[in-house]
Formats: sequence, C-alpha cells, structure tokens
Amino acid sequence: MSAFTIARIDLKRLAVRPFAWTLAGIALAMMAWQFLLGVSAFMHAQPTVPGATGGAGFTDNVIAPYLLNYVQLCLVIAPLVTMQALAGERGAQRLALLAAAGANATRIVLGKFLARLVFLWLLLIVVATLPLVLAPATHLDWGQFGAALIASALCVAALVAIGTACSAFTPEPALAAAAALLIGEALSLIDAGVRLTGGDTGWLGWLALHTHLAPALRGLVRSEDIVYFLIVIVLALALAVRRVDGDRERG
Amino acid sequence: MPSQPSVKPVSTPPLLELDHVSRRLGGREVLCELSFTLQRGEVLGLLGANGAGKSTTLAIIAGILQPSSGSVSVHGRAATEVGQHIGWVPENVPLWPELTVTEALDACGRLRGLVRETRKSAIARELSRLDLGDFAHRLCGQLSLGQQRRVGLAQALLHEPDLLVLDEPGNGLDPVQAAQLRGLIGKLAPGHGIILSSHDLAEVEAMCSRVVILHEGQVRCDTPLADIRGKLDAQFRAIANTQASAAA
Repeated sequence: MSAFTIARIDLKRLAVRPFAWTLAGIALAMMAWQFLLGVSAFMHAQPTVPGATGGAGFTDNVIAPYLLNYVQLCLVIAPLVTMQALAGERGAQRLALLAAAGANATRIVLGKFLARLVFLWLLLIVVATLPLVLAPATHLDWGQFGAALIASALCVAALVAIGTACSAFTPEPALAAAAALLIGEALSLIDAGVRLTGGDTGWLGWLALHTHLAPALRGLVRSEDIVYFLIVIVLALALAVRRVDGDRERG
Repeated sequence: MPSQPSVKPVSTPPLLELDHVSRRLGGREVLCELSFTLQRGEVLGLLGANGAGKSTTLAIIAGILQPSSGSVSVHGRAATEVGQHIGWVPENVPLWPELTVTEALDACGRLRGLVRETRKSAIARELSRLDLGDFAHRLCGQLSLGQQRRVGLAQALLHEPDLLVLDEPGNGLDPVQAAQLRGLIGKLAPGHGIILSSHDLAEVEAMCSRVVILHEGQVRCDTPLADIRGKLDAQFRAIANTQASAAA
C-alpha cells in the first residue's frame, strides 16, 4: 500500500465534506475581492505612472501581492484543513485501521500530507488562473509569474507540513489548529520588528517565511529559498512520522 | 525387503502463537507473560473483567501495539510481517463516516493492495455474506451500531484473512443482531481461526470452542469450553478470594 492510496481516500473524504467546500468558497471569494482591489488600484495608478512600459507593471503591482495574499490566507486555512489529519483520526481508531492494513507511520503521514497539499494546491491553481484572464490585455511577465507561483506552492506545502505535524502531536484538532496557526504566524512575523526598523535581520531573517518568499515574488528563484522550504517540510513531516510511529509503543 | 525410512511428521506451526508476551505502560505491567496458541477452525474467547488486558492483547495480535517483550507469530512468522493474514475489528469500529459502505470497502481493498477485479468481487462477496446489500450506498455515518459492526467485519474479511481478531463483537447489539453475529461466526469458524474478547460468559459459551481467562494481564485459565464450568467456578472463587484478602 502506498501513501497515494491513503491520500486518495482522504481527498475523497475532503471532497464530500461541507467544511472543505465552505473553506474553499470563502477563500476564493476573498481572493477574488483582493484581485479586484488590486486591479482597481492598478488602473487608478495608470495615469500617474511615468514611463509605464519601463516601470513596475501588472505582474509587480497586482499578481505578486495577490499571490502573497493567498499565502497569508493559507496561514489560517492550512491549520483548518490539517487539524483533523491525524488528531481526529487517532481518537476514532482510523489510524489503527490503516496500521492494521499494513501502512507504516511514514506512509500514513505522507498520505495525509499529500491529500491536504493537493487540496490547497488546487485552490492555488484556481486562484492563479484569475489574473490569467487579463493576460491578453496586459504585459504579463511569465517568468516572474512562474517564480511567484513556485514559491507560493512551496510555502503552502511548508504550512501544510507544519499543520500535519501539529495534528500528530495532539489528540485535539482545535489544539492542533491553534498550534499550527501560532507557528505559521511566528515564522511569518519573526523578523517583522527588525524589518520595520530597517536593521540587519540576521538569522531571524533567515528563519522568516517572508525572506524566502519575497525574492521569488520579484521573479528571483534562489536555491537557498527552495532549500529552506524543503527543510521545513522534511523536518515537520519527520517529527510527525516519529510521533505516529511512537503510538505503537505508547498505545 | 528394505526397511522403510522413518518419516518424521512435519509439524505445522499453529495459526497464532503468543509466546511470553508482556506489555508495560508507564511502569505498570498491563500484560504479563501471556502464552497461548490458536489453530485454524478454533474460536477462542478471551474472557476477563474490564481492564484485564483483553483489548491490549488483541491489539498486539493485530499488530497495532508492540509488545514490550515476547513474540506474536501467525503461521510461524512475526504478526507484524503477515498483516495480510489478519482481519481486525476493534470495539469501536473505525469507519469513514463520509463514505458510503461500498466506497469504504473499496478503500479498505485498496489499502490491502487488492487489484480492481479482486476488489470488486470481494466487495460483492462480503456485501452478500454480511447481508449489507440494502445499505451498500448508504453513508457509513448513517448506519446503526449493528450495521456498523457488520461493515467492520466486511472490512476485516475483504482480503480473506486466516485469522480474525474481534474485540467485544457483541457489545451494544440487540438480541436479534447478537444472534445474527453468532450465526456468522459459526459459519466463518471452519475456514478461519477466530479470537474474540468478551466479558459476557453466555456470549462466549454460544460462540467459542475454547476459553482463555485473563485477570490483571495474566492467563488464569486456558481450557476447552466443555471443561469451563467447573474450572470457572474454581477460578472465580480464587479471584474473589484474592480480591477479598487484598481488600482486608
């Protein structure tokens, strides 16, 4: 049995839950509103932008902040989507059912992670197609758009991994959501104070999500940013696997 | 006439063997040196009061929990390696409430690695065997307790395991459903080894051919059902005496 089988079951369950659809509906409505606001601000700024062809364009002014908004929204959505992943399942003995069917802790955690990641990536795809409807009428920077999309996808994956890990460590889904929200916000705001004062953020800056997202939103994909997101994902999932594996000993 | 070479009888390992299985949890010994075997065709009842260690024993057999020491083997191999030979139904049947009965069975078949055609025929077989045809397209979350138990059994039987592990199968069932369960276990018994837990002697008497009595994590009695009455009286008297002297 592979992690994909578990992911498939969980995706099917997500697809029939009103909670997931409600969450997706609210997220898309908010993103559509953000997009309209962005386009409106861009249109109003048009006459005052000197040398419009050479300055910051549609991608910089509308798409990059728009995708950043989605990532910020995921700071809240990811904990809500992942809170039930392992916390609720353990109490209902559904993790035991998977274990009895021969799934080890790695496959269980990976399957749960993949299902939720696919859900939020599908949302990201829908969110990303909104600005594309204006592509024929604007000078879209496809490179910058692609870089921003990759970084957003990786950042969302990191948030889902953190949520999955929090869900593994507590039996209460609400507690898991609160912990994931706190960690996500902490990683997002850890260097905010130093950034506001304009000082050197140092290692605090390296820990912050924003540090690794901002270059990609400007069109620059750096290997150190990709490595950062991969480290967060692997670390969170490894902790979750360790915890689920320990359930066999703890009972 | 040349003498016939002496043929050594080949001893087949028992279907299930527990060898000095112990489990400690937080410094407390939940199970202590449990040893017993189960052969194909036997229905073994684990009897004991609440907290005697019945569910823990069954979870260890099913590979859900790890023993602190000792070993569990199925067909002579470690139970954790031969999950495909074990079907487990815990006391609270784990179902996916958002899925229909057919979808849940299909998911279980996938988890067990059954290919599409095998899965389809296995689902049809279990729906018919457990009389679940009328509920096939109903959500698991909308089923009654008895129906949920039957779906749990169907999940456990889908991959045709040799060993069935049932934790308190009669719990919460009405008399009609309990009678149906007894009939079903009677039908399954010849081709399987079945181990079930209960704290209801009448239920065990109706379903089992052998009884193991657990008390505070230890085997107090392992006997065929026919011998149970006299031994039970002695066992319960001994346990009652122990508890009385401890209280004094």
